[in-house]
Parts: sequence; C-alpha cells; structure tokens
Amino acid sequence: MNRSKLLEIKDLTVEYRTDDEIVYAVNSLNLSLHSGESLGLVGETGAGKSTTALSILQLVADPPGKITSGEILFEGDDLLKAKRDFLRHIRGNKISMIFQDPMTSLNPVYSVGDQIAEVIYLHEKCSKAEAQQKAADMLEMVGIPKDRYDEFPHQFSGGMKQRVVIAMSIACSPKLILADEPTTALDVTIQAQVLELMNDLKVKLNTSLLLITHDLGVVAQVCDRVAIMYAGEIVETGTVEEVFEHPKHPYTIGLFRSIPTLDEKVDRLKPITGQMPDPTNLPSGCKFHPRCPHMNEVCTKMKPAMTNVAGTHIVKCLIHEGKLDPTEIMEEVNYVR
Amino acid sequence: MSDNILEVKNLIKHFKSKNGTLHAVDDVSFSIKRGQTLGLVGESGCGKSTIGRLILGLHQATSGEILFNGQDICKMNKKQIHDLRKDLQIIFQDPFASLNPRMSIGEIIGEPLLIYKKVKRAELDSEVRRLMDVVGLSKRFINSYPHELDGGRRQRVGIARALSLNPQFIVCDEPVSSLDVSIQAQVLNLLKDLQAEYGLTYLFITHDLSVVKYFSDKIAVMYLGQLVEIAESDELFKKTVHPYTQALLSAIPAPNIRQKMQRVKLIGELTSPIDPEPGCRFAKRCLYSQAQCVGQDLEFKDFGNSHFCSCCRADELLNTTISQ
Amino acid sequence: MNTTIIPSKNQRSEIIPEKKKKSQLVSIWKRLRKNKLAVAGLVILTFIILSAAFANALFDYNTVVIQQNAADRLQPPSAKHWLGTDELGRDILARIVHGARVSIPIAFTTILIATIVGGLIGAISGYGSKRVDNIIMRIMDIFLAIPGILLSIAIVAALGPSLRNLLIAISIANIPPFARIVRASVLSIRNEEFIEAARAIGANDLRIIFKHIIPNSMAPVIVQATLCIAGSILEIAALSFIGLGIQPPAPEWGAMLSGGRQYIRYAWWICAFPGIAIMLTILSLNLLGDGLRDALDPKLKN
Repeated sequence: MNRSKLLEIKDLTVEYRTDDEIVYAVNSLNLSLHSGESLGLVGETGAGKSTTALSILQLVADPPGKITSGEILFEGDDLLKAKRDFLRHIRGNKISMIFQDPMTSLNPVYSVGDQIAEVIYLHEKCSKAEAQQKAADMLEMVGIPKDRYDEFPHQFSGGMKQRVVIAMSIACSPKLILADEPTTALDVTIQAQVLELMNDLKVKLNTSLLLITHDLGVVAQVCDRVAIMYAGEIVETGTVEEVFEHPKHPYTIGLFRSIPTLDEKVDRLKPITGQMPDPTNLPSGCKFHPRCPHMNEVCTKMKPAMTNVAGTHIVKCLIHEGKLDPTEIMEEVNYVR
Repeated sequence: MSDNILEVKNLIKHFKSKNGTLHAVDDVSFSIKRGQTLGLVGESGCGKSTIGRLILGLHQATSGEILFNGQDICKMNKKQIHDLRKDLQIIFQDPFASLNPRMSIGEIIGEPLLIYKKVKRAELDSEVRRLMDVVGLSKRFINSYPHELDGGRRQRVGIARALSLNPQFIVCDEPVSSLDVSIQAQVLNLLKDLQAEYGLTYLFITHDLSVVKYFSDKIAVMYLGQLVEIAESDELFKKTVHPYTQALLSAIPAPNIRQKMQRVKLIGELTSPIDPEPGCRFAKRCLYSQAQCVGQDLEFKDFGNSHFCSCCRADELLNTTISQ
Repeated sequence: MNTTIIPSKNQRSEIIPEKKKKSQLVSIWKRLRKNKLAVAGLVILTFIILSAAFANALFDYNTVVIQQNAADRLQPPSAKHWLGTDELGRDILARIVHGARVSIPIAFTTILIATIVGGLIGAISGYGSKRVDNIIMRIMDIFLAIPGILLSIAIVAALGPSLRNLLIAISIANIPPFARIVRASVLSIRNEEFIEAARAIGANDLRIIFKHIIPNSMAPVIVQATLCIAGSILEIAALSFIGLGIQPPAPEWGAMLSGGRQYIRYAWWICAFPGIAIMLTILSLNLLGDGLRDALDPKLKN
C-alpha cells in the first residue's frame, strides 16, 4: 500500500480530570488512516471512541478534558500543536464532523439551505449567491429536493435531518469526515438508507471516513478497515476481511458471539462476562483480563504489545505474543466465523 | 384456547391532538400462549410501546378487548387493575429514566413488595437480597443509587423490580436497546433463564429483528398502528410475506462482510399516523404498491401455519419473491 | 496446561464491603464546599445566626437594648459603643444583634409556611387534572400580579400591625412563587418514565407524589427558599420602616433605619449599620442560594 497517510495518531492519551478522580479516557492510542479509506472505530460506551474523534478536531472540553501526550498528524501537520486560526481553517473545511443526534446538531432558527451555505461561504472564497447555489446542489446530492432549501430543521424527519448534516459535512469537499454514531438515533430502515447514501458518496467523492460506532454490522457494510477499541486502547485492527473473518482478540471474538444474528438460530448467546472497567481505575496488565475467558496470571502483570499476526492485522493480546501456552487457546481464538 | 394467557382483540387507541386524531393503535389482534414469547416489532412511532402500556392499564384503550386469563383489562376498575399488577409487570427501555434517582437500589426493588405487603418488614431486606441474587446483581449495591451503576446493572434492577411480585406475564419494552452489545447478550440470557425458571410469558417489544429472532416463539410486525404480519418465528424468517417485513429484514446491517446489504426494499420515510387514509398504510413507501392498495380496508389473510399477513398483493408477491 | 483459573473480577468484587448507606447530603455538601462564595455566604450567615442565638449573653435586653439613656445619645462609634448610639442613647450594635432575633426567625417561619403551603398547592396543581391546574394557577396569577410588598401592606393594614399579622402577610405574599416553581418541576417529573414505572408496580397517587415526585422536585424549592428568606427579611424591614411591622421599642433593622433617618445628616451611623446588617444577611443568603443551585443540580453530578 503506497497511499499516503492522511491521518496518523501517535500515542494519544486523553484524561478527564475532576477534583476527586481522573478518568483515563484514551490511553496511548495509535491509529492511521490513508486517504480515500474508511476506518470503523468500534467499541462500547466509555471505550473512548468519541474522545478520540473530538481530540482530532481539538474539541475536547478543557477543563475537564486534557490531552496529556501524543501527536495527531493530519497531512503532516501536528494538530495538537496547531494555532487556533489553522484549526479553524481545518474544521469544517478539511475535516468535518457528523454527530450522533441530528435533532440537536442543526440550528433551529435558520433554514437548512442557509446552514449549508454558511459553511461554504465561511471556507470558500465565493459570493453568497454562489454559496447558496452550491448548498442547493449539496441537498440534491444527499437526496433532498432543492425546493426544500428554505425549510427549517423541525420540518424534517430524523433521517432527512441526518442527510442535511451529511450535506453540510461534505459541502467543502473535506479530506476527512469524522462520523460519530451517525445512524444510531435512526430507525433501521432509515439507517439503511443513510448508510447506502454514505457508501455512494464515498465512491463519488473519494473522501476518507472515520466511522465511530458500536455496531459491527454498520462497519461491515461501510468500512475498509476496522479498529476495535476497549478501555481507551485499540485491541485489534486490520482490514474488515481480516478482523471479521478471523477475529483474534478475545474481546473481538466475544463481541461477535454476543450479537444475535439473523442467519442462525442459537439457543443461548455467549456474552462477555462482567462489565466495562471503571475508567478511573483501570485494571493492571491487559485491560481486558478481568473479563477474558483465557486470562492467565501473566495477563494481570504484563501489558500486551501490538503484535502483527497476518498482513495488516494487528492484535494486542499476550496469547498472540506467545506469552501463554497456546495450543488449546489458539484453537479457540483462531476460530473462523 | 385456554392456554392463551393474553388475548388482544380489535384493540384501538386514538390520541386526540391539535392536528387531528393520532391513530396509535388501530384494530390490533393477537394472542400469546402461556410460557411463550411474542416479539412485537416495528419502527419508532408504530404504536408498539402503546400496546405494552395498554396491556398494563397505564393507558385506557379507545375500544377493543384485552383478555388476561380470560378477564378484560379494558373493563377493569382501579381496584382490579391494582390486583392485576401482581401478575402483570413491565421492564422499561431506558434504565436511566425508569429508576427514581433519589431512591437506593434496595428501596427500588423493595417498593412493590411494600405496596402489596407481600413480605413482612423484617423480611423485606432478605427478600430484596434474594431478588438481587436472582438477577445476578452483586449485593453490595443494595445501598447504591442508580446513577452509581452502569446501564446493564441498572437494567438488572429494573428486572428485579418487575420480578418482585412474582408475575406471570412481563411486558419487555425494548429492554436491551439502550445497552452495549456485550451487556445486551447478558441481559437477554438472563431474561431467557428467568422465563425457563419461573414459566414467565413475555411480550417482547423491540425494533431489532435479530433480537426477536433469538428470543421469540412468535413474531408480530407493526407498521403505523397496524399489525401487518404475524407468524411463528421460524415461519416468518423462512417465508417473509409482507413487503414491509422484507424491507425491515433487508435493512439490518449484517456483521458479516460476505453478506453485503441488499438494496433496501422501500422508499421514503415514515408517514404521519395522524388521520391516516384507509387502505394499506405502507403503500406510500412500498415498491410493489398499486392502485388496489389504497382506499379499501385490509384483511388479514391466512398463509397456513397460523401465518397471517395484511398485504393485499401478498399472493402474487409471494410467488415472485420466492422465485427470485 | 497452565491455564490456572484466577477468580474473575466479579467474584473478587464480592469481597468489597457493602457501601454504607450514605445520604445524598454528603455529596451535595462536597460540591457546595467547592464554591468559595457560597462558603463565604454560609460563614457570614452562621455568624449572624450564632450572634442572634447568644444575643442575651452578649447584651442584656432590658438594660442595654431598650433602656433609654439621654446622656449617651447620638454618640459616634467608639471603644465603648462600637457602632455608636442612636437618638435615645441605645447601643446600636446591641440593637442590631437583638434585631437579628426578630428578623431571622420571622423570615424562616414565613418561608417555611410559604414553602409548605405553596408546595402543596403547586403539587396538586401540577399533578391534578387540567381543570384543577387552571383554576389554581389563575388564582396564583392574580396574587402574582400584585407586588408582594403591596400585598403585605394591604394585609397588615387590614388586620392591624402585630407580629402574627406580619407573619401571615409575608407568608401569603410568598406562596405564589413557590406554587409556580413546584408546579413546574412536578409537571416535568410526572412525565418521567420512573413515575410510569411506579404506577406499574401499583403505587397510588399519594405514594407517587410523596415518594417519587416531591423528593425529585426539592432542589429548586430549596434554592428558591434560600433566596426568598432574603426577600422576606427585606420585607419585614420595609414593613417596619413604614410602621406596619415590629413596633418600637423592640429592635428591628427596618424600624431602626426608619427611626434614624431624620438624624442621617449628622449621625450617619444610626442608618448605616442597620443597613449594612440587612445587606450582609441578604448577600450571604443569596450567595448560599446560588451555590446551592449549582450543588443540587443533578446534571452536574459527575
């Protein structure tokens, strides 16, 4: 793969500090995204997915949030060291963000068309009329007829609003779109329509996409690569083929087993035991060890490293480092879906 | 038919609103056998939660009958409904909103026991502890407050509260949809275990077809206040008749890369449930709609194996889609 | 195989002792403590209340507070009389300290009455049917249309000035705002899912109101009460100032202001110190009220 790296996050650590405690939201996270590629960032509540996305745009509320270390390279520039003017230039223009709730991410007092036109007018040196013209084109592109330009957000349904938000995010032809659970608030049939739209736009515009979701199904339909997050760390990453066909990390395997699927009827799901760890008091060693079926004493003491298992497939687990006696476990973790 | 613990007959619930009459539930009939689970599936605003609340007597039906063990809930007075709640309970969707933030976990679980004086005050504590044990909740949380617990544990509190009166029937209103995937599976397994142990009957309300497939014996699909298809679980997935059910199935993104999403088999968005026109309410979004779909009231047609569907073109469609 | 089983986190967590039943007051206090201004308010208020409580030990009522002493009249602040004396030669500090014994208990009592009565009216209005709500709230609107102080003046003027009538007047004037606040918070809470959950487990209306709605609507009421005590102290002072409140020779801050106003040109201390006492008390209550508003806001919880 000789495509250039559009975004590279190195060793990112983000904490939320309150008077009584420190929440370790993101811990030494490494992630990279090539241009034109779509990466799914999957994890459960509190895994640090949204914090990661907000860190890229420097939108982590400070206080209480604090980026304590790391680099975020976007086209070679470190966004963490960037000046505010530069960040403002990047936001909405080169990197845009789609939030989870379309109900609250649009301003209720402006018409949807004008809201899109404003983004274009702010970032592109063009007249108001040109911006409005382009905004109307954008609406068409996401499947909303031009004559709804002057309507207000409350006149749109949830799915339509999310289309408007998408139109706004692609208005300046950004290099990278950060989508934070863009379809979670929508009904299944509407979600499917929005995902279809995103897939079409991806082909049409060739932008990169960082899709944050808890839904492995959405990733399978939209993304090229996937990164599984647990307790502020990436525990497994690779192409969707690698991860979905041959999941290696016990957490990823557990996730797949927890999902009831339409294809097979099972009598009992095999959930991951226990709860997400308390982010103010993370377990020692491997952060997944209290819930891991293969846990061994080593896991409580030793932090696993990122280990390449095949191709671009990287897993953060001591089993794959060969630190545990593997034969029996290997059989289990090498299961093919 | 005596093994039907619940029978809903021609149930109608209309809400008056400023813009007209909102047809939340329109002429819905179904029945649930003792010890089984009926999955009630539909998108937001289709009236599935309203049905749950009608069954519990939290709303008053506009017309129709809800027979629970042969007695009509719609005709009951306050006293009778109060007695009924011992046998009929509900688990809510949002474990954040459905627990009183100013009460401790022990108080929440013990409240129904106090109200119905099921146990003596002295035994209350041990009974609450027993219930916490049943739902797999560590006893050290007995004095915690809801905001100190995560979603999965809170939902266990909600389940313990519903179980405390030892009911026969529980309405599960999207009990897992606000939970994380790994926690979701734990709670689903718990509900299944409880059903086996106590012989519970569930009405399982959800928008997620894959969850009902795992969970239900029988599935009913709703669209805009009306039932569009009802069948045994296996039967429904084997032979999906109604275009809306097909669309719902096609819309679920499978966590499997070999199985790319099919083209979604519907157009447009949910229409308004206020003063709907007669005829098939799905017609406006249906790819197969024709003139005959609108205007006339629909009938439920039997497709064998107690599989019913309200689509008026079902026969032709069944032939074409199966041949595809 | 060296797959030793180590107890999972769940089993281990059983060892963690059961949490002591800790009231939510502790966490509210923790949050309040972080607000420096609110703590300052609390300190000032505590000081005022303590000095009022021990007023008799500090200054004898009969010999110092109401005993007239023509020789000492209109003395400026000095070592003997820290805050000077008034036109009848009484020590102003002593009168202020004893004045707190009048203002503060009356203010607390009136607000307690207003909170209970107003809260009850508001709860009925918010929880009851639309008709009941409409009738009650329109009556409250009528009361709200009249400025509180005017209403108090009218009531005292009609019933005649006395301590009891003053209490009644100020309590009545404070009922409508409480009714409104409680109604608003009841209206928002009654639509919460946990109320529906309570109904589903067979709780009756009384239980829902007292066990579920009222505990959850206390926060805005407490804040309002704190702020209203300040307003009430001001009203007592105002009524006394115009002669409808506490009657001389009993010391009362408003009455002291009123009595001293003709000497203000050459004996500023007579008016200044009672004025400062009123201001400090009200300021401390307002600071505390603001701090409580933040500390009680559940949205700020973690």
